[in-house]
Amino acid sequence: MRRGALSIAVAALALILLAAASSVVVSGQLLAYQDGYVFFTTGDGFRVARDIVIRDAKTGGPTAIHPAPRVWARATFDSTGTVTELDLSRTPLPPEGSFADVSHFAVALSTPVPNPDLLKAVETPEPGSTVASIVQFSGKPVLVTFIVQVPPNTPWTASVYITNDVSGWNAQAIPMDRVDALHYQITRRYNSGTIFRYLYDRGTFQSQEVAQNGLQRAPRQLIVTNADVRVIRDTVYAWQDSIPGGVNQIQPQIMPTPYNPAPFPNLPTCLPAPQPPGTKRPPPPPGCPP
Amino acid sequence: MKDSCDRKEGRRRKSVAIVQRIALSAAFITLLLFFAGAAARAATPSPAASASPMTQATAVPTPQSTTAPTPQSTTAPTPTAAAAPSPKASLPPPRTVLYLNAKKIDFYYDRFLIEADGNIRLRTSDGFTVSGDAFSMDLKLNRFVVAGHVTLHDATGTVSGAAISDFLNFRRIYFVPVTTEPDRWTFLDGDLAHPVKGRVMPDDAFYFPIISQHPSITAGGAVIDTLTYVRFINSHTYLAGAPIPLGTDVVNFSSNQYFAQNTLSGATVDLTWTLAGSPNALTALHLRYDPTYKTYLSVEQHFVGDHDYAVFSVNPATRAEKWWNLLLYEKLGSRFQIQSFTQYYTQQNWLSEPRAAQQTTFINATYAFPHSYAQATSQLTNYNTLGPGSLEEPNSIAGNLSHPSQVQITATSFQNKIADLPLFEQIYEGYGFNHDTVGGLQYLNGFAPYWPPHFPPIPVPGLQAYGALCPHPPSTTYTYYCPVYTTIWNTVLGATLFTPALKLNSPPSPYETYYFNAAFTKQYQWNSLPHWISTDSTNFTISRQFTHALHTYLGYQIQNVGDHYINGGYLPCEPVNTYFCPLSFTSFRGVSTLRTTSFGFNDTPNPEFNFSLLVRHHVDFPIPVPGVFGLPPNNILGQPLYSWYLGEPPYDATGDVRFVIFPHALADISRTFYWYGNPYRTTFWQQNFVIQILPI
Repeated sequence: MRRGALSIAVAALALILLAAASSVVVSGQLLAYQDGYVFFTTGDGFRVARDIVIRDAKTGGPTAIHPAPRVWARATFDSTGTVTELDLSRTPLPPEGSFADVSHFAVALSTPVPNPDLLKAVETPEPGSTVASIVQFSGKPVLVTFIVQVPPNTPWTASVYITNDVSGWNAQAIPMDRVDALHYQITRRYNSGTIFRYLYDRGTFQSQEVAQNGLQRAPRQLIVTNADVRVIRDTVYAWQDSIPGGVNQIQPQIMPTPYNPAPFPNLPTCLPAPQPPGTKRPPPPPGCPP
Repeated sequence: MKDSCDRKEGRRRKSVAIVQRIALSAAFITLLLFFAGAAARAATPSPAASASPMTQATAVPTPQSTTAPTPQSTTAPTPTAAAAPSPKASLPPPRTVLYLNAKKIDFYYDRFLIEADGNIRLRTSDGFTVSGDAFSMDLKLNRFVVAGHVTLHDATGTVSGAAISDFLNFRRIYFVPVTTEPDRWTFLDGDLAHPVKGRVMPDDAFYFPIISQHPSITAGGAVIDTLTYVRFINSHTYLAGAPIPLGTDVVNFSSNQYFAQNTLSGATVDLTWTLAGSPNALTALHLRYDPTYKTYLSVEQHFVGDHDYAVFSVNPATRAEKWWNLLLYEKLGSRFQIQSFTQYYTQQNWLSEPRAAQQTTFINATYAFPHSYAQATSQLTNYNTLGPGSLEEPNSIAGNLSHPSQVQITATSFQNKIADLPLFEQIYEGYGFNHDTVGGLQYLNGFAPYWPPHFPPIPVPGLQAYGALCPHPPSTTYTYYCPVYTTIWNTVLGATLFTPALKLNSPPSPYETYYFNAAFTKQYQWNSLPHWISTDSTNFTISRQFTHALHTYLGYQIQNVGDHYINGGYLPCEPVNTYFCPLSFTSFRGVSTLRTTSFGFNDTPNPEFNFSLLVRHHVDFPIPVPGVFGLPPNNILGQPLYSWYLGEPPYDATGDVRFVIFPHALADISRTFYWYGNPYRTTFWQQNFVIQILPI
């Protein structure tokens, strides 16, 4: 009796495992649906059953969505690797299954051969270098901190920005924060693999940084490599509008004197006299408003 | 007779000045030509110098694509041509032009994506055409995908397939053909006749981006010049969700920063319609609003090369007062650059004969030496360019006889470390002149027709008439000054000493470390009139980072500006036009001292949020009195262009909050309070409120 029950349990378990093995489900985005195949954005093409069932992924019922590029789908494979059911959605579906498990079902005339373009080597950047000789990108977010040393003549209240090609060289794309007399800093989150070119400025192109030799400098390039945190340290040697020794800065009618050479006759005629707090203000001179 | 003598004397002085100016201009141009010639020789490419930093940087990474880039990725990983860097890999990607037609083409400005659906027809300058159901292109990654019922056609024939992807930067085309069965083909270096079959493809070769936002532009066709611009055809953009037809619209996404140079002044609102574009040019029409000219149109034209640019604009183009701007830049070789900016003002209805016209030109030339550089700057202004008789009634509207000019040549060293000390120095010296700075009107004091009772004297004689009473005073009531120093020469010598960051302690935690940094600048300027200026600036801070997110610093600055006259100069204050002397002005002799204490606080718990606070206290001598000295001009945000000036409010506090409001946009809200703790003010506090939306 006990042995019989055990046999039934084993048989039932085997049936369950068989049933599970015969049906594999994966979800992903469709690339194409044509010629009796369904293609996912992995590039894999799978044979489609003649009597394929197409449903709405949300409701499980009939759908007006047609299998087409960009549509999200949950595909059910039978034991032969044929897609028997597609549940469609216009919005991303939660990840389900793995294409690695069904890649052997993908139909391809040619035998796969390795691609020498796809490198396996991974190196970390040399100390002081922003770019490794061979780099692998994961696409994962990386905290990138920019620390820039500014020229000593930078005005205390100056706003310093990063301008980059991603923002169309908007001169105020990334505002930075002063952390001491000579340094500004900002932290941004970028995905590994992000590449952009950038320069520092004080909010306009007229106040963009120049190279140490006084010439306009080529943009710096940042390649965000795999890391949790990256720190980029740069130095700005001078601003275009305040190069050291630029006595005659670009201002109309500047005179070589910091003040009006005859200041006192130019005092406003109706200035109120200084008074200690709490005292009554004296009457204004004749002709002045009260 | 006396009048005639005075006129002759005036003319003589004037002609001497003109000769001097012409000679100097000629010398300046000769100098520029010399530099240009030297630069041209220096421009001969050497093997080491031929690779620009940009080219080197793009050649270095040889990434492997392991995962698809996320939507936030501005530029995503791409496979490369070879495992070992090859000479070919360092070449810039070839230029390709794509001609795209589809039922609907959407452009997403913040991500530089073009997404098209329905009846895709794509023709490329590489010699093939593709049709399909859907198209996706990342302009920054420079790659595209066509998917669904794809037909690839070129001179060798036609193949059908499910999808094709072109990684333009790397000259790799990945194709999923469907002949008898699906397959995987890779075309190398544009060779469509010999596919490499079965080659493993990058995981993200056929990636479609996930998009949740509304398109910026929708069109029926597009011409895509890779890495530079897109011209949308039969397009419309959206304003508050409503479509606005544009016809042709150009979006430039070149990484060349010269395209962003502009010559338009600030406006409250600027809506830009880019009418036409090419890899080297851009034409834009601007609909603008500002409080002075209200709503108007402006036109701007860009021409851009790898080492040069030219920008021309008319602003406002639809108002009687027009500014015609021309910005030029040229880099000759690796050591010399020259740039100029010319602004021509006219008052005219449309393009009729101007009633008033003025011109200002700035020229700036720089020559780089191995450890220093020389820079020449010049400004030439004409306050009337209309010709004879234009300033006489009834024609006179604006302008005068003034034509000031300036030239300054400065040599500046690099920043050099002093021995092994944590100290850096930089020195500079310069020579130059200012001619007719105060203006031509001052000459009129010396001409009898401009004497009383018809004309009052020129009210402010300026430095050029410093100390010079007219030899024959025409009036006993007024004091007349006549020009003496028509050209004021100057010599400048300055040095900067600074220490970037000194550790004050060495605790176990970096968050307990205090840093000290300081900078000191001293400058002398000697003028050819008996006058010299000394300026020195000292500032230092002590800073500490308390946590990863929290930075603070305490700073102190002192600036001394001495305006010294060997004879005369600043006289003791006497209540002439007012009935009192402001505090501290009785002892002011032209030497001011400005002291500022600052406290800064910055909290950045995450990249999506930032709060900063800056509190400052100024103690100045002389005590600032509004209206005595000119205030600095404001920047485009309405804030003072520079921070050191007499008359600064004694207290100010600025709070700034930045936070993410959209996936690709940041709000920046800044508020500044000024407290005037001095009795000369009728208002005791003011505020400044700035809100900006910034792209991430």
